[in-house]
Amino acid sequence: MECRDFTLQLDDYLDGRVDAVRQRSIQGHLERCPNCRSRHQHAVALQAALRTLPAPTPHPGFVDQALSRATRAALSSAHPTWRAVIGMAIAATLVLGVALGVFLATQPSPVRTVALTLERPETVRLIFNSAKPLQAATLSLALPENVELVGYGDRRELSWQTDLRKGGNLLRLPLVARGTAKDELVARLSHGGSSKTFRLKFEVDNAGKSGM
Amino acid sequence: MPPVSPYRRARPATSNFEDLLRPQVEYLYRLAWRFTGSVADAEDLVQDVLLKLYPRTQELLKIERLRPWLARVLYRQYVDSVRQRARSPIATYAEGEDNPLDTLPAMTDGPEEHAERSWWREHILAALERLNPEQRTVLTMHDVEGYSLEELETILEAPLGTLKSRLHRARQRLRALLPMELFSAGERVNG
Repeated sequence: MECRDFTLQLDDYLDGRVDAVRQRSIQGHLERCPNCRSRHQHAVALQAALRTLPAPTPHPGFVDQALSRATRAALSSAHPTWRAVIGMAIAATLVLGVALGVFLATQPSPVRTVALTLERPETVRLIFNSAKPLQAATLSLALPENVELVGYGDRRELSWQTDLRKGGNLLRLPLVARGTAKDELVARLSHGGSSKTFRLKFEVDNAGKSGM
Repeated sequence: MPPVSPYRRARPATSNFEDLLRPQVEYLYRLAWRFTGSVADAEDLVQDVLLKLYPRTQELLKIERLRPWLARVLYRQYVDSVRQRARSPIATYAEGEDNPLDTLPAMTDGPEEHAERSWWREHILAALERLNPEQRTVLTMHDVEGYSLEELETILEAPLGTLKSRLHRARQRLRALLPMELFSAGERVNG
């Protein structure tokens, strides 16, 4: 057997998918070839490590909460929609309530302050409370220079259409601060020729960098 | 398999659903976390699946081997969510009457858990994140969760040859990302 043949058959050998003849041939090669022996040991070590790879358990209450939501949603006419968002590890979560009680209000919303830690992804949650359902509302985001939306790199402006239900609508923004400058994120919600603007001011803590 | 009693048939759908699914939620969550690598996404994925399954409670009652069946449903939902993500930059959630504070994601991925993990496991998790979703899924289902390729043919709805090929490429990539020295050093540190 050549080393190339062994490499091709390594996975089958690891998974016990070789017959007795091939098995003897592979074992013979492993006894003779230190490189392939090392390659085999590496593969075995990786497999052993994968078998013990831990996974987190859900937080206490999640099982009850998830089952309850599923049954309540089916029993009520208002189905909440749950959709996946940008994947990331959440280091911290901040909840902001941004009331849109009267969507077309002319009063500007107060500027809310959000604390971020430099270079640490955090999810900011905005709750849009809408007095009525809004179909095809446009949501636009303008990000400050020092804050990135995770997965979007240097992109500073985003705009998309979405439907808002009556009541609370949660928008998750996975953000990461790249600098400490104080600046604002502007979220603008538009519908039927009217719009409302919300401003979030960021205070960036660089504690995460101080110990490095 | 024992016959379904009249008493069981008479029970409300909510009770049947909870009886069947409660023992499976942690398993679904674990798989969801392995697929997504994110606590928040795993919670959302499981919630999505439960929402879809509740109206199918009667169908669930007839399934003999629930776990592989649920794994298939979860995987389909995961594929849908990846496609959805590709179409829409951010999704908004309608949360009904829930108090938003009650919906905060679990903090099980916090500093304490990180400290408990051995450092080479962190390397493995980082390497898994660098695989594409198909490779990560087949590798975690086969090498971590212990499903056979034949079982994965049904769960992931892909031919055996395709799965073998994905697994082979995933392992090759991991071996390239995680050199042998990492495991030798890990054994010294942990031993």
